[in-house]
Amino acid sequence: MPQEINVSFAPHIRQSLSTRRIMLDVLIGLMPAVIAAGFYFRGPGLALLAVCVVWCLATEWLCNLIRKRPNSLGDLSVVVTGVILAMSLPPAFPLWAGAVGAVFAVGIGKMVFGGLGANIFNPAMVGRAFLTASFGILMTTWTVPATIDANLPQVGPDNLVDARTQATPLAWSKVAIKDENGASIYNERLPLWKSLLGEEAGSLGETSAIALLLGGLYLIVRKTIGIHIPLAVLISAFVTAGIAYLANSDAYVQPFYHLTSGALLLGAFFIATDPVTAPLTVRGQWIFGAIIGGFTVFVRIVGEYPEGFMYAVLLANSLRPLIDRLFRPVPVGGRPNA
Amino acid sequence: MTTATQDSRSFAGGVHPPEGKHLTEDRAIEPGPAAKELAILLSQHIGAPAQAAVKKGDALTAGQRIGECKAFVCAPVHTPVAGKVKDITLLPHVVLGRTLGVVVEADSPAQPVLPSFQRPQGFDPNAYTSEQICNAVREAGIVGMGGAGFPTSVKIQPDAKVPKDTLIINGCECEPYITCDYRVLMEWTEQVVTGVQLVARACGAKDVYIAIEDNKPKAIERMNASLQKLGLASAIRVAPVKTKYPQGGERQLIRAVAKKVVPTGGIPPMIGVVVSNVATAAAIADAVVCNRPLTHRVVTVTGKGIAKPGNYYVQLGTTVQTLIDHCGGMTDDAVKVVLGGPMMGIAIADLSTPITKTGGALMVLTKQQIGKDRFELRQTPCIRCGRCIAACPENLCPTKIAHAVKNNMLDLAQSYYMTACIECGCCSYVCPANIDLTGYIKTGKILLARQKKKMPS
Repeated sequence: MPQEINVSFAPHIRQSLSTRRIMLDVLIGLMPAVIAAGFYFRGPGLALLAVCVVWCLATEWLCNLIRKRPNSLGDLSVVVTGVILAMSLPPAFPLWAGAVGAVFAVGIGKMVFGGLGANIFNPAMVGRAFLTASFGILMTTWTVPATIDANLPQVGPDNLVDARTQATPLAWSKVAIKDENGASIYNERLPLWKSLLGEEAGSLGETSAIALLLGGLYLIVRKTIGIHIPLAVLISAFVTAGIAYLANSDAYVQPFYHLTSGALLLGAFFIATDPVTAPLTVRGQWIFGAIIGGFTVFVRIVGEYPEGFMYAVLLANSLRPLIDRLFRPVPVGGRPNA
Repeated sequence: MTTATQDSRSFAGGVHPPEGKHLTEDRAIEPGPAAKELAILLSQHIGAPAQAAVKKGDALTAGQRIGECKAFVCAPVHTPVAGKVKDITLLPHVVLGRTLGVVVEADSPAQPVLPSFQRPQGFDPNAYTSEQICNAVREAGIVGMGGAGFPTSVKIQPDAKVPKDTLIINGCECEPYITCDYRVLMEWTEQVVTGVQLVARACGAKDVYIAIEDNKPKAIERMNASLQKLGLASAIRVAPVKTKYPQGGERQLIRAVAKKVVPTGGIPPMIGVVVSNVATAAAIADAVVCNRPLTHRVVTVTGKGIAKPGNYYVQLGTTVQTLIDHCGGMTDDAVKVVLGGPMMGIAIADLSTPITKTGGALMVLTKQQIGKDRFELRQTPCIRCGRCIAACPENLCPTKIAHAVKNNMLDLAQSYYMTACIECGCCSYVCPANIDLTGYIKTGKILLARQKKKMPS
């Protein structure tokens, strides 16, 4: 006979799924991209990853200490922020600057709003935006993957002689708009298979399309993320790039080129799907994803910058409350008449 | 005319909790405890409480009426045993806290005898008029035995304005662990069929379905065989429905079987549908054919915290403590006693709470069954993952409602249709942050009701 019995609201059983498990799944989903990053960018890349994660953890721990809140590192969400931030940075980014970005991402992007669940913008993207604004040159210096022979003549668009750096596919496409030779990129500069595998210049975790698709598939199969946002992002980006391509196929690259390059795949599966900063309803998620995909390609083809994913996510994040308000779920029985 | 096909019908949303029915599904209904004293509540239904019809010290015969009704939406109460009225006092009630009840001291405490129902040879429901059936049901004090407890006589009355043309008998039993309706379907098959015929006759329904979840193939088979034997296979159809919680919620069931939608804030009769539970149907057959009032019911006693789980035929008014003792008592690791199933049942603190007409299950849960986080009610922040929205069978936005209630913003909660919530518990069940969403919504509904009472418009 027990000493005492307990009361609470129903239900009295619960699915064994926790926030921690969801975040762990996201980390598992990121693993293929992390492995690809280690393969292509070796020591410096992994060191950057470690620095970002450690400083993110330290910042959240410190903020909890200051706010006299219970320790929240156990939910692993801050680790996800650290990994995604590192994945979105150039591989040879200085470690100290990575640490600055990590502190800003978690401190300003997340903890000042009240921690997990309360932030408006994706913390990793807030950190990256801060770094882009502060260290413009560092943020656009791209290392050649270690698998490419560093002694080969460099292949950058502006003919800077530096054997260690290389332009990204998106920088090429930007130049192609001016030169009106977009169609030649696939043939001369970058075969599609290289872009899929990731043997190209780019941010740490963005280059290998196959690794990102593998991780994304894992998340969808595990039902950690819904399929709506990634699908909306990719379709919308493809359609926007397709319209540009059809309008002027000399200047603009093929739409597939946009999907496999830059942050689009990493973002579609791992950044835009951050539940905290995405809309609640499925209809809202379609709109949200469409805004991100469309705006990203819009920046790529008419903006000043070669890449626009970060801006697209931050823009869509700021529209999220509005989207949620517009697409409230309607009860199955219809709106009550009262 | 809709035809019953073999493909399983369903609804959108819902969850798949572990069923746990193996504990009791193969245990035949057996007599419950012999109670020395019964605590018979006068309010075992929705509506006005019954008025005590006896005085302290009165001698009672078995089946005598002890509570009678003045209001329309009400149900009388009867004593299951012969005895003496010991007291009329406030007794613990699972929802109302405390309510008036009659304490009956049994003359000779004995275990209840399992009822035997003989379907009359050549039974014809048309031998009774609708009024006769409704009266007999009302006199017997029958209420919806699936849980809500709405007086059945009111529900099955014919309506000239909106003809009740569809009758769905609810044998889904979607709540995990509970098996009382399953056992009734298996053992009292003909009695249920008789009751179904009577209800159909009373409300004038043309389309009659018996909905059973497809995880109970034996019950579906048994019911089909029985209908074949009685030559009713064309009049009453068994509708297998998909095994999913809350398939047995009447709004979900109507959507799955009749393909109709009950309007938000409305009730099934508004669209000409009547839903009734199988145990209720069995009780109706008893009341109309044998003239027996509702004084006993089958209760599933289950959970890992009880020594002898099973399905027991229990006298109404038996206390939870008596029933637990009869089932070998609680194990040492038992931590929670719940009247009802694990998804919607109410945890009780007072073991002298009596079993009522609506209480189909008594669960004793262990910490391991509940899970550590749920037991400790350890909540983490909402990460807005939207799983509660995907699971909501009514397509509401539980997280928004719950957080509005938490911040005492009832208007905002109501703008997300708080009162359309059926309190099934799916949102709390799936929440990865372990937020008590259903709990907040229930609280909000109570606060709103209080607010409205204070300021009548």
